Formats: sequence, C-alpha cells, structure tokens
Amino acid sequence: MRALVLLSQGLHPVSGKSCLPRAEAQAARLAAMLDADASGLHAGPSSESVREALGRGLTHLTHLKLDGDPVPPIVAALRDLKPDVVLAGPCGQGGEDTGLLPYAVAHQLDWPLVAHAVAVEAAQGGLRVTQAMAKGARRFVTAPLPVLVTTHPSAPPPLPFAYGRARAGRVAAFAVSSPTAAADECETRPWRARPKVLTAQASPEAKGRLLVNPDPHEAAREILAYLCKIGVVAERPT
Amino acid sequence: MSRLRRDPRAERAALAVSSDARPRFARRPGEQRPRRDPRAERAAVETAGAAARRRFDWLARGTGSAPAAAMDAGPRLRVVNEPVFLVFAVVDAPRGHLTTQDRQTLAAAHVLAGTAGAVAMIGGGAADEADRLLPLTATPDSDVLADQLTDLVAHFQPRHVLWPESAAGGDLARRVAVRLGEPLFCGAEQINAQQVRRPAQGRRIEQRVKPPRLITLADGAVALYAGPRCEARVMEAPPRKVCASAWLNVEDAPADPAATPLGEADFVVAAGNGVSDFHAFRALARALRATPGASRMVCDAGLMPRTAQVGASGTVLAARCYFALGIAGAPQHLQGVAGCENVVAVNTDLHAAMIARAALAVVADAQAVMPALLALLEAP
Repeated sequence: MRALVLLSQGLHPVSGKSCLPRAEAQAARLAAMLDADASGLHAGPSSESVREALGRGLTHLTHLKLDGDPVPPIVAALRDLKPDVVLAGPCGQGGEDTGLLPYAVAHQLDWPLVAHAVAVEAAQGGLRVTQAMAKGARRFVTAPLPVLVTTHPSAPPPLPFAYGRARAGRVAAFAVSSPTAAADECETRPWRARPKVLTAQASPEAKGRLLVNPDPHEAAREILAYLCKIGVVAERPT
Repeated sequence: MSRLRRDPRAERAALAVSSDARPRFARRPGEQRPRRDPRAERAAVETAGAAARRRFDWLARGTGSAPAAAMDAGPRLRVVNEPVFLVFAVVDAPRGHLTTQDRQTLAAAHVLAGTAGAVAMIGGGAADEADRLLPLTATPDSDVLADQLTDLVAHFQPRHVLWPESAAGGDLARRVAVRLGEPLFCGAEQINAQQVRRPAQGRRIEQRVKPPRLITLADGAVALYAGPRCEARVMEAPPRKVCASAWLNVEDAPADPAATPLGEADFVVAAGNGVSDFHAFRALARALRATPGASRMVCDAGLMPRTAQVGASGTVLAARCYFALGIAGAPQHLQGVAGCENVVAVNTDLHAAMIARAALAVVADAQAVMPALLALLEAP
C-alpha cells in the first residue's frame, strides 16, 4: 500500500517560527505504519521546514514550487503519483487556516475522505480507519482505495526526530505554475483575544431545584430521575 | 458698557417650587438631565404585603429587568408566515439532544434572520428556537449527508447556512462548501448582522467581512437565543435522490467512560472531601457509566490520580452533566465546570457554592446517598 502525506509549512503557535505542524507529523507517523517507503508532497514557495517530515517517518518528498492556488497542482501530482492512501492534517497553521484543502482535493479527484483518524490499517479491499468521534467514542470505517484521510489531535504522537534519516531523505523539487487564488474581499487587522460568551453557565433567574435533608433513598430517586431526564443515564423500566 | 450684574439669590428664588418639607427647586432652563427622585424610586420597588418591616425588591430595577419586561410585553410565540429569506442552522444533535454549540448556531441564525427572515433548523429533533424544521435522513457517511444538504441548499436557496465548528459540523460544512464551489468562512468568533470575524495565520490576524453565505461558528461566538418561543413548523422537503455510500463497512465503538480523557468525557461524577468510601464511589461511577473525577483535596491526599483532578489546575471539563459528590465548590473548581450544561450536587452545606451552581442540589451526606443510588441502579 503506497502512502503519501500532504505537508505544509506552518508557523509555530508560540514562537511564530516556521515549522512542520504537529498534526502533519502525526500523519507522517500513521503513513510510516502503513508504508515503509512513505512519501510527502508539499506545494508552496519554500520547503525549508517541511524537510522535518523526513526525520519523522517519511523517506522522500516532492516539492511543487509555486506561488498561487495549491489545489490544481496537488490534484495533478496525485493523479500522476497514484498513491493508495493520502494523509493530511485537519487544518493549516499560519495561512488561511480553513482546513478546506483536503476536501477540495478529494472532491476534485472524486475520492472518499475520512476525517478525524486516530489509527489506520490495511483491510480486505480497502483501508480500515479508526475515527475519533465526539465525547471519546470511536468508529471503525472501511473505505475503498484510493482514499484521503485527515488526522485527529488524539492520534499517536509524532515519531521522535531522527537527524540521520532527515539528512538521508531525498527532496525532488519541480517548479509549476498555478493561477493565483482569488483574493478575498476581507478587511484584516491584528488579532485581539476576545472573551468567549459563556452560554453553559446557569442563568441567575433559572434557579435549580433544592432538596434540604431528604431521605437518602428519596434523594437517590430524584437524582436518577434528573439524570434520565437530561439523557446521560439510559431510561429505566419502572 | 459694563455687563449686568447677576443676582444668584433672585435666580434661585425664581426657580423655587412650593414644598412643605424642605426647599425644592425646578430645573434650570439649560439643565438637561432630569433630577433623580430617590423617594419615588424607593416607593416603586417596595414590595406589597404587610410585612413586619418594609421590604424592597432592588433587583427589579435598572438593566436587569429591562429585557424581561420587554419579553413580557412582546408576543409569546414568534410566527414568521411569509419569510423574506431563510437562514439554515445545521445542527449536530447527537442522539437527538441539541448541544450548547447547536443552540449557539440557532442563536446566530436568529441574529442574521432578524424579524424578516426565518430560521430553519436542519437535522435534529424539536427545538423552541427554530421557525422551521427540516429533518435530514440520518446516515453515518458524511458524504451522503453532504449530498442531501447540498440538494436542500440548491432547492431552498437560503441566504445563509450556519454550522457549529465542531467535529461533525465542521466536516459537513467543508464537504458542502466544496460541492457548492463557494467560499466557507470558518471558525467565526464574533457574528452580528453587519460583520463576522475569524482568526487567521495562526491567530496573528483577524479577517472581517459582511456575513457571507456559508459560515461555521466557533464555540462561544454568540449568546443563546432569549426571544419568544418559535413555532417550529415542519417544512416540506423536496424528493431526494438516493445516494449510495462509498464506504465498505462502518462499526461503532461506544466510548469507554473509564478510559475516556476527562476533557472529552460526556458525563463526569466527581468526589470531594465529603466522600470517604472510594470503593463505593468507583462502583457508582461504573454503574452510572460516568468518568470519575475528583477535587484538588482528594487528589492531594492521593485518593484519586492527579489526572482525575477537575478545575483550573486540573482539567477544564466540556461535559454535558457533572455530578458533584461532597464538593463545596472552590472558585478554581467552579472554573473547571463552567462549561458543563447540567450540574447535580450533593453536599451537607446548604451555603456551598456548588449547591448554588447546581440545577439539582441535594443537601445531604454524600456517603449516605451513594449506597442508596447504587442500590437503585443495581435493582432489577
């Protein structure tokens, strides 16, 4: 099974330095578990920090040098490289940060996309992906190949950085032309932290029920009835 | 020529109003602000009834009562018969329950709809916050769901489509955006009828635009809807094409509450200093299928692991329900449960902060309530 990871040049969330986003390093680990010769694909002006992925489980990289919209060259390169599994992080870090690129690529290639992966393994006729669902639940999806998979933050942590492998990895760079992405008509300003609107806090007028010194059995019945009402405990036959 | 000399005493006498108690004066001609009348204000908030001493309902004045009074004056039911446009609010509604983020999405849809538009809730069960309901056929494959939703958007042509920026909502929004070929404004942190804002470039800049068509909302972008109840009329959906899922197999594995990280857990039962029997506490957590948590006191004493600590220095919860046993509720602990929708508290102290925070508060000994609850859960 041939695995490929879509890589991007991110900004470190604290220092602001150029770095490989953690989610993509996690994707590189998942790819290395599927394929000992996993490769990376990066589309952008420079590949300086993307080389870090070579020390995190990938053996070679393809760098498409461009300045415009990365989606058409990536789609063309994937048609050319014909990988079975393409892994990607859920969202960029330092650019537009919309997380739309994997969806646009999968849509143009007409591949299925499985999001929030925490584990992947080869299965009969496809790829078995463990998806992280809300509230700690998991789901096992078997998707046909070729497939695009995006990772979840609770996927296994990145492999430790191996300096020798990073030096030994090959980078093939190609200059490609791409139309400039349509500039959005939006006003930009420096970001300013704003407080979240706390909506879960009980409003002062919505007073709760108060039971003072009830019998323990009476209290237990009331508590269980409340927990059943809000749906965290299954309804009990009475 | 010299200026006329002012006579302050004569000016003051001209403004005098006849009064028996003390000298009173009318407003001067240039004076804008009306004078406060503390006695009348006090009389207005005095509660009726022959109490032993005079009682005043001070909370019923000022800004606190203004929205409530406005709501009482308005209609009890919001009915939009002929909406000028539709605003879609696509909700996750796991197991039919609206999450807080779903309700925020509905509130944001009301902000964009105003009085002319109608808010249509897509998916989910019933809601008092939606003018129209449009159910989706439940399916595990998001691609099939996205095809359904794309058909609905093409059919009804809503002015805005809103999603919560949650795992399921954000995924569905991006699938629909690429199908429609339209830009998606994702992770909006502030929304009103004039503009939306989102952070970009790793939270270095923020982008502001007029509300576009497709928007996803980050948690805490907008306050919950507080207007009159909406009629929730079920809309006629167009006939759907049957789309087959490309997936070969789907299996669900329910969350194991004992292994779920505290920050992701849906239902947390926590022990405080009022709990001494930890065998019973763990058995109760297993029987309720809840993730066990603890207060700082208990973790410091080594009775529960540090990973179970709830609060500012432990884990901040996002649970749907928090069940506190024998926890008084230090401010740092309450910060940890600020995001919980339902709080149940059992504590011996009537004046504990946790009792004030709880939706169901029981003033009793947690050590006595635990075995009773366990017996009730284990009863056939």
